Amino acid sequence: MAGNKGRGRASFTFNIEAIGFARGEKLPDVVLKPPPLYPDTDYKPVPLKADEAEEYMLALKQEFRATMKRTPYFMDTEEEKQEIERYSKRYLKSYKDDDLEWVPDWRRLPREMMPRKKLTKGPKRQRTKGTAKVPATLMSTVDVLKKIEDLEKKGDEEKSDEETDEKEGGKGKRKDDDDEEDEAADEQEEYDEEEQEEENDYINSYFEDGDDFGAESDDNMDEATY
Amino acid sequence: MTQAEIKLCSLLLQEHFGEIVDKIGTHLIRTGSQPLRAIVHGTGTSLDQVKKALCVLIQHNLVTYQIHKRGIVEYEAHCSRILRILRYPRYIYTAKTLYSDTGELIVEELLLNGKMTMSAVVKKVADRLTETMEDGKTMDYAEVSSTFCRLADTHFVQRCPLVPDPPESAEAQPPPPAPTLSINEKDMYLVPKLNLIGKGKRRRSSDDDAAGEPRPKRPKQTAESKEPMPDDGIYWQANLDRFHQHFRDQSIVNAVANRMDQTSSEIVRTMLRMSEITTSSGAPFTQPLSSNEIFRSLPVGYNISKQVLDQYLTLLADDPLEFVGKSGDSGGGMYVINLHKALASLAMATLESIVQERFGSRCARIFRLVLRKKHLEQKQVEDFAMIPAKEAKDMLYKLLSENLISLQEIPKTPDHAPSRTFYLYTVNSLSAARMLLRRCYKSIANLIERRQFETRENKRLLEKSQRVEAILASMQATGAEEAQLQEIEEMITAPERQQLESLKRNVNKLDASEIQVDETIFVLESYAESTMKRS
Repeated sequence: MAGNKGRGRASFTFNIEAIGFARGEKLPDVVLKPPPLYPDTDYKPVPLKADEAEEYMLALKQEFRATMKRTPYFMDTEEEKQEIERYSKRYLKSYKDDDLEWVPDWRRLPREMMPRKKLTKGPKRQRTKGTAKVPATLMSTVDVLKKIEDLEKKGDEEKSDEETDEKEGGKGKRKDDDDEEDEAADEQEEYDEEEQEEENDYINSYFEDGDDFGAESDDNMDEATY
Repeated sequence: MTQAEIKLCSLLLQEHFGEIVDKIGTHLIRTGSQPLRAIVHGTGTSLDQVKKALCVLIQHNLVTYQIHKRGIVEYEAHCSRILRILRYPRYIYTAKTLYSDTGELIVEELLLNGKMTMSAVVKKVADRLTETMEDGKTMDYAEVSSTFCRLADTHFVQRCPLVPDPPESAEAQPPPPAPTLSINEKDMYLVPKLNLIGKGKRRRSSDDDAAGEPRPKRPKQTAESKEPMPDDGIYWQANLDRFHQHFRDQSIVNAVANRMDQTSSEIVRTMLRMSEITTSSGAPFTQPLSSNEIFRSLPVGYNISKQVLDQYLTLLADDPLEFVGKSGDSGGGMYVINLHKALASLAMATLESIVQERFGSRCARIFRLVLRKKHLEQKQVEDFAMIPAKEAKDMLYKLLSENLISLQEIPKTPDHAPSRTFYLYTVNSLSAARMLLRRCYKSIANLIERRQFETRENKRLLEKSQRVEAILASMQATGAEEAQLQEIEEMITAPERQQLESLKRNVNKLDASEIQVDETIFVLESYAESTMKRS
């Protein structure tokens, strides 16, 4: 078309004067990188308010923070045991108010929040009683595998199972005694078992461990040794 | 939830509750509503720790739970509630100004523990007050109870939702996996009839009282294990909305005082006080108040005549700020306070001030201009602002790049040809406010990080000074000579002392900045909320 100024020449599709640049004027550079991390400021900030109210609130804030650290609500990650006990540690008294061990009001919380009392003899026994009650909907491949395992061990644990059952019955009556509770417990126990399973590739019973291995979880249980 | 908010929540949880709670809380904020198993799986922490952390978070009203179908309980974290932790000092200070030390300690204990029964609060506060009093004096429970009742009457503390009573046929159906908490609107501020008689106890080494002493074997839990208190199960929490309402009222009164004079601010304060309980916190207007009512409710010290009051009211109603509006003529004139407009003006004033401090007064002039005139072309901006074209253009683009001003295209022809389109500059107040709000969150997160960094850097020095203090204290207790004490004090050298001083100064400055940024956050958040409720 006539007036074909587009070829080989840069031009804008709109009237450049509408946004304030005069014709032919140098346009500002294109920004090719992200803005700097600490940009310079032309204007320094206004100083902080320093009246009584602010100072009092500052003191309140710092005290609150310090007090929170001492409450039982503050859950610190446990530090690793240090090999050498440092002399300086003796003077850094920890001010945790141990006598205020907090117990929440269980009536207000979902029932799955209550800590389950684990039997000293280990989780596997409870499951043998519990898995029988698991309804079909909750069965999964993991459960099937476990059932197979249980059947293997059942021979060894026949006697000790009776003891466990009595204990379990007693304990069950103390808490709210119904199916859902047990299922939840089973789910939790199963889950723990699953976690334990994943840690080592081999099923415990397939190889003989040293005397110390598995001492934490299965105290007095006679391992099926081969 | 923006990234800035999540980061800030994470830092706040970490500082106040520890790392484990932080991990779980942040996971919940990021992923929304989750059941217990999913949390354990997602965070990789053990089940016990997750349970304990959730208990702590629920206790402090930061996480709530809901029963879904098939009996699965899902937990949800409330990001906005976690951000309120920044405002705790302000709540406590407000309680102090309104109800003196007793009120201050009540609110502090409630915030520290999330929720408590009334008897527990009263006992703890009485003990704390007794410790600060002189020897021989003790704080009576009755006084603390009465302050508590007053706090409940003015709605500063409220009851937590209650566990429903167990139905009689408890054996027939299994109880639900989680209690459904509910509360009646009328019961929310009902104080139980307790007969709390007693006095606060001081911690003394010779005392046999188990409540006040750490013993080698764990002592029995206070009264709760002996017999259940009559108000067992009735928990109270601080009503943060009411505090926010109070802050809002305060800022409106201050604004009127700055703009006009003391008397008009007193009138506005009276009007707000009268509508405290009748108007809900989210309403755009207060209930209409007649001039006669206002006259009767003015504080006793103010003896202005009815006519003067009417004149003031007319002045307030005609003011371009539009804080007060006239809604009718009955009863000597019905007046309302336009809460939404007031919040909007405060927020805009904050915005303008921010632009001024960041970009200079000329930019601020342009910004105010575009704010008032709503839409302006490039040429018009230059003319109205009376600023040379080149500078005006530069400033407009700077504001545009910061997203404080936006461009609105108005086409003349249906094909939207750029040469035949109007380009208008405008300020979208809500989005500008939100953008600055996000920036505020980011600044507080930066401040907290910097404070933690400073503390970490000087950890060794801080530990040393703590140690020296402990040694000094123990030596003073056993009685030591002045020279020995002097020697111990010199364990910290002069340059170290200076370092400690400057550290303390920096930490204080950073902390104070956090509190003051939170004030801006409050103004902008209230404005955003009020605008959202309206539309």
